[in-house]
Amino acid sequence: MKPVHSINRMHSAETRTAWLCLIPSVIGLVCLTYIPLIAVIGLSFFNWKGITAPQFVGIANYIRLFTVDPYFIDSIKVTVYYAALSVIGSLIFSLIVAMLLNRKVPARGFFRAIFYLPYVLPAMAVYLGWSWLYDNTHGLLNYVFNQMGAGKILFLADEKLAVPSLSLIAVWLSGNLIVIFLAGLQNVPRVYHEAAEIDGANGFQRFWNVTLPCMTPIIFYNLLMALITNMQVVTPALALTSGGPGNATCFMSYLMYRYAFISNKLGYACAISTIFFLLIGIFTLLLFATSRSWIFYEGDDAK
Amino acid sequence: MKKLIALVLTVAMLLTLTAAMAEGDRVTITYSYWGTPEESASTQAVLDQYNASQDKVTVELMCIPNEQYTTKLNSMATAGELPDCGIMNENGLLAFANAGLLADVSTMYDNSDSKPLECLTFKKDGETPVAYSGCNEILMLYYNKDMFDKAGVAYPSATADGAYTWEEFIEVAKKLTLDKNGKTPNDADFDANSIVQYGCVIDNWTWQLEVWAQSNGGAWFSPDGKECLINSPEAIESLQKVADLTLKEHVMPLYLGLADEGIVRSVASGTVAMATGGAWNMGTCMSGSGINFGIGVLPYMKEKVTACTSGPQVVFAQSKHQREAMDFIAWYTKEENSWGLIDSGIWMPLLEKYYTDSTAMDTWLKSENFPIKDYDMAKAVLVDYTKDYAKSACWYYTPNTSDFIDLLRSVLSPVWSGDSTAEEAINANYEALKASIEDF
Repeated sequence: MKPVHSINRMHSAETRTAWLCLIPSVIGLVCLTYIPLIAVIGLSFFNWKGITAPQFVGIANYIRLFTVDPYFIDSIKVTVYYAALSVIGSLIFSLIVAMLLNRKVPARGFFRAIFYLPYVLPAMAVYLGWSWLYDNTHGLLNYVFNQMGAGKILFLADEKLAVPSLSLIAVWLSGNLIVIFLAGLQNVPRVYHEAAEIDGANGFQRFWNVTLPCMTPIIFYNLLMALITNMQVVTPALALTSGGPGNATCFMSYLMYRYAFISNKLGYACAISTIFFLLIGIFTLLLFATSRSWIFYEGDDAK
Repeated sequence: MKKLIALVLTVAMLLTLTAAMAEGDRVTITYSYWGTPEESASTQAVLDQYNASQDKVTVELMCIPNEQYTTKLNSMATAGELPDCGIMNENGLLAFANAGLLADVSTMYDNSDSKPLECLTFKKDGETPVAYSGCNEILMLYYNKDMFDKAGVAYPSATADGAYTWEEFIEVAKKLTLDKNGKTPNDADFDANSIVQYGCVIDNWTWQLEVWAQSNGGAWFSPDGKECLINSPEAIESLQKVADLTLKEHVMPLYLGLADEGIVRSVASGTVAMATGGAWNMGTCMSGSGINFGIGVLPYMKEKVTACTSGPQVVFAQSKHQREAMDFIAWYTKEENSWGLIDSGIWMPLLEKYYTDSTAMDTWLKSENFPIKDYDMAKAVLVDYTKDYAKSACWYYTPNTSDFIDLLRSVLSPVWSGDSTAEEAINANYEALKASIEDF
């Protein structure tokens, strides 16, 4: 009996230490994440403009959002559209770049730095630079197209092109995904590749049947992170488009910012945040729910 | 020994008391300003000067980071802890006034030798003065002298008498628009798809469009700020006229009015011959652009008019020392305290005397650093045109203009690109536009 008892005691001592170590982060999580989250959800049922005391209005804010508000429905559509384009685009782009950089190319370190560089540049500078590239009349891209006789492309001024144009910037900015993919690629066991090679698999077959399955956990991680980052997009609207043309780039975060901090409709902005939170939550849950069916974990027997 | 200690203590106490009494004569008021303490160092220096100049009032600076400013003021208002006076954003000002938070400032400049220009008064319900601006800005025309010389066209007028009519403005703009073969829209073989130099830009950064409604004999709002008149035929026609510069006349590049950069991307970058812009652009981008530029008055449709605006300085109604706060603001907004901004051309003076009294005028326009060296030109545009033709921008008398302007920007996009007419766009969205100035 005695050894069992001492093991139990050791366990409980370990548990205690674990809890003690967790306290700081739990306090942080509760005070900085959960309490504000609950406060935001609570405030969304109030009419509160900051100046006067909050006034309970039930679900009036939500009703207004879905009926009268001139931006909200559009903002959901463009946010999801932008996120989808940017996530898919940046995943494909960074996986390809990572695979190229994983080969023994000359000046590999230099190229790795070059592709990572956009990610560390100040956002405002990046968007300003791109706005000059995209400029309708004097932009570099339109100059090139014009020289080729292709006519003008209104990158940011055309309602249909604004979101794809901004997504392209997001793809260009995805240096962090490249780094994570690179780390993942270096962990793909060489033996699998060698075995496949002996079996006579060509390059594409090896990529499809060896590299890709081994990378699925990393792809899942990157997918999740890219989805959340891109859903929360706000800088391009602030820096370049002010939500236009029309409502074409009126992203949910931008709309929230405008209502909360420019027109001081805090309760109303909280209602947008709550719906936004639910939306991201649903997408994340969907990803997790489907993940079992396509992620391959090495040494996992279930598959 | 004990006696000695008692004596020392008594003396010390007396000294403290007298010091406290001397302090007690001074009233302490707080002035709130946006920026970090480092950014506000120059403001602090001005306050120190005020505190040293008299012995009645001590002004303390309250620094609030820019992005939190309005939120912080709001929460202080709820708690009844607002500072005595401070700077505010023009957009939220009348909502504050309507909530009873701003003091009536009609007597603010009573002890001063000059009052601010009338058009720089923020008025609750279009009547009660609740704030004055901290400086002045007007809209005007910038042009590239070299482009005019090359085309052999006379410069735009600096006096309102010679202002272009809208038709003259288009004619001049046509002469200055060149495609890559050097042809103008007046030539038969002009290629509108390969324009390398445009004749003009009417900045359509949304709020700046209000002046064209007024120029066309209309308005966006009634004088009490309660009625939205943007669907009036005059206002609609003025928007269409601006859009047609791009769509029909091909003299203006396509801008969707989505960013505040009209002048930066036109005259200041040497690609457009003339563009409308704010007076602040003299100092912020034109003087350093290397462009040989001049300034003139705006063209007009039916009535000669320009807009004026700048951020307000307020006294809060919760303050127990409103008189002291008003005296301080009246002193603080004196041009001498911000001279660097004024003589570099970024700000225009607030007080009337700079527009009427030639001595004051000369210290400003003849200042060594002033970016416009042509005195007559500067006086005609910045003094005479301002004095006779400047009208307050909409936020001086209309609450919640920021929501209205954001919505209007979104509504007008298809008008600039030619996908719909101004009439269709405004009429289809009039109810929403009207609702946006009503608080919900």
